[in-house]
Amino acid sequence: MDMDLDKIQRLLEIVADSGMAEVKVEEGDFKLTVRATPKVEANSGPMMMAPPQAAPPPVASAAPAAAPASSPASEAAEPGSGADESLVLAPIVGTFYAAPSPDADPFVTVGDRVEVGQTLCIIEAMKLMNEIQAEEAGTVKQVLVQNAEPVEYDQPLFVIGQ
Amino acid sequence: MKKVLIANRGEIALRIIRTCREMGLQTVAVYSTADRDTLAVRFADEAVCIGPAPSAQSYLKIPAIIAAAEVTGADAVHPGYGFLSENAEFARICDDHDLTFIGPKPETISKMGDKSVAKETMRSAGVPVVPGSDGAVADVKEGLAAAREAGFPVMIKASAGGGGRGMRMARDESEFERLFVAASTEATNAFGDGRLYVEKFVEEPRHIEIQLVGDGQGTVVHFGERECSIQRRHQKLLEEAPSPILDEDLRKRMGDAAIAGALAVDYRGAGTVEFLVDKNRDFYFMEMNTRIQVEHPVTEEVTDTDLIEWQLRVAEGETITSGNHLPVGHSIECRINAEDPFRNFSPSPGKITAFHSPKGRGVRCDTHVYAGYTVPPTYDSMIAKLIVRETTRDRAITKMLRALDEFIIEGLKTTVPFHQQLLQDPRFLAGDFDTKFLERFELTQEG
Repeated sequence: MDMDLDKIQRLLEIVADSGMAEVKVEEGDFKLTVRATPKVEANSGPMMMAPPQAAPPPVASAAPAAAPASSPASEAAEPGSGADESLVLAPIVGTFYAAPSPDADPFVTVGDRVEVGQTLCIIEAMKLMNEIQAEEAGTVKQVLVQNAEPVEYDQPLFVIGQ
Repeated sequence: MKKVLIANRGEIALRIIRTCREMGLQTVAVYSTADRDTLAVRFADEAVCIGPAPSAQSYLKIPAIIAAAEVTGADAVHPGYGFLSENAEFARICDDHDLTFIGPKPETISKMGDKSVAKETMRSAGVPVVPGSDGAVADVKEGLAAAREAGFPVMIKASAGGGGRGMRMARDESEFERLFVAASTEATNAFGDGRLYVEKFVEEPRHIEIQLVGDGQGTVVHFGERECSIQRRHQKLLEEAPSPILDEDLRKRMGDAAIAGALAVDYRGAGTVEFLVDKNRDFYFMEMNTRIQVEHPVTEEVTDTDLIEWQLRVAEGETITSGNHLPVGHSIECRINAEDPFRNFSPSPGKITAFHSPKGRGVRCDTHVYAGYTVPPTYDSMIAKLIVRETTRDRAITKMLRALDEFIIEGLKTTVPFHQQLLQDPRFLAGDFDTKFLERFELTQEG
């Protein structure tokens, strides 16, 4: 095989379509190795075909099998993942309020030092204003939600650092 | 009604979402942290996490559900079955928050939820009830009078009772006093309360229930019956419609009785009136369930209706203009649970590694599970409802056996093998069984 660009292009396409990770071609002195960029799939090994395609019909609908469920932990990989940082999670469902009343200043802003038991925000549910308190002392690094935004259980609200 | 919040999980949440979508309604799924990966959460238009796995802190937590409705702008709540579906307080709170509760009015739920009030309501409406004393009797003399009126044999039961204790069956007058005293003594020892009531003993009872829908505006119609006698420890495992023993006349009388009872409380929504039918084909009111039931699909299959749609329509204020819906053909449902039938039905939660549900003409599988799904230990063990529909009972049984053979669930134990054996039992095939049938049914151990 000579260094025909068209053939090399075709080889690249074949490797990409097949899902193979690596192909080596040797002919005389000519050696060509093509490696595919690995897909970011949680459970794909080096030589395995992507599971949904390879599985026989018995696997149920593609939707659940396809994408790995993105958990809050992976989405929040950036906020709160640093050393000595922790997340304050919403303990209830409701509407997040940053301040005690519409005209008042927010309970906390970035940079504030907070003590254990200090009110960080309000989550309103069923007309009841629930004060959410800090369980650890630290410094507010990030405020992850906006005033009047709906929040669900376990939703990250603040990043508190030491 | 524009947006419905489904206050439930599992297969029924998905069931409700499907009908809502067909009706052009937006859907909101609420879920606990253990249910993040469920199909209802994926298929709903919006989803809100409302709490941790334990039901008391999520699916039963009223403020969390109401808050989820508030933040998503839902205007209606469908409670499914179980959980808060028969909680009058929840229905009332929904009303207070301008949320349409898909079900009866709070007062109706309260009334039918109290067994003695429900029984009295039915009796006044002319519905046959299990004859017996009016609550606890003062002494043996009163007990005997009640027994004579009800007709022997009678059950002498402890008012404070449970677990079969403080209970005696008196076959005739001669043994009544002796048994009455024995029951009272046992009840005093077991519960600290020796009071007894007397009820006619219903012999070889079959549990047959009538499905109905009322519009709360003067009309109630029925959709025929379901035979639910195949029960293990009071849990239904298999249901069918119609019942193998009902003829047109008995169906009409039971249907009319159920409707009379529902009209007496101006019933709104889907509901089920449960009856006990004895060996003489006399029927007696047992209780009324003011919600959609697990086994509703068999009724849908033989009446060609969507009962969830009926629920939504009457909740929106539509009036019923149709007559009763009589069954055509035959349908059977097998509840497939994550339990090991060969180890006393012990729960078998875990990850489903392979899943293929049966398909084909006349086969329906209502399920929320899929390959890769982990069945959590926190909730009930039902993972699928397998329903078949055919022209006759024999054909339905044949089809169900074919479907069970085709059902592949790997990674945990299920009750599929139990159903396979049940559906080949001669007495089942003959339609000859009552609520005690499974007590005597012997499962052949796996080879």
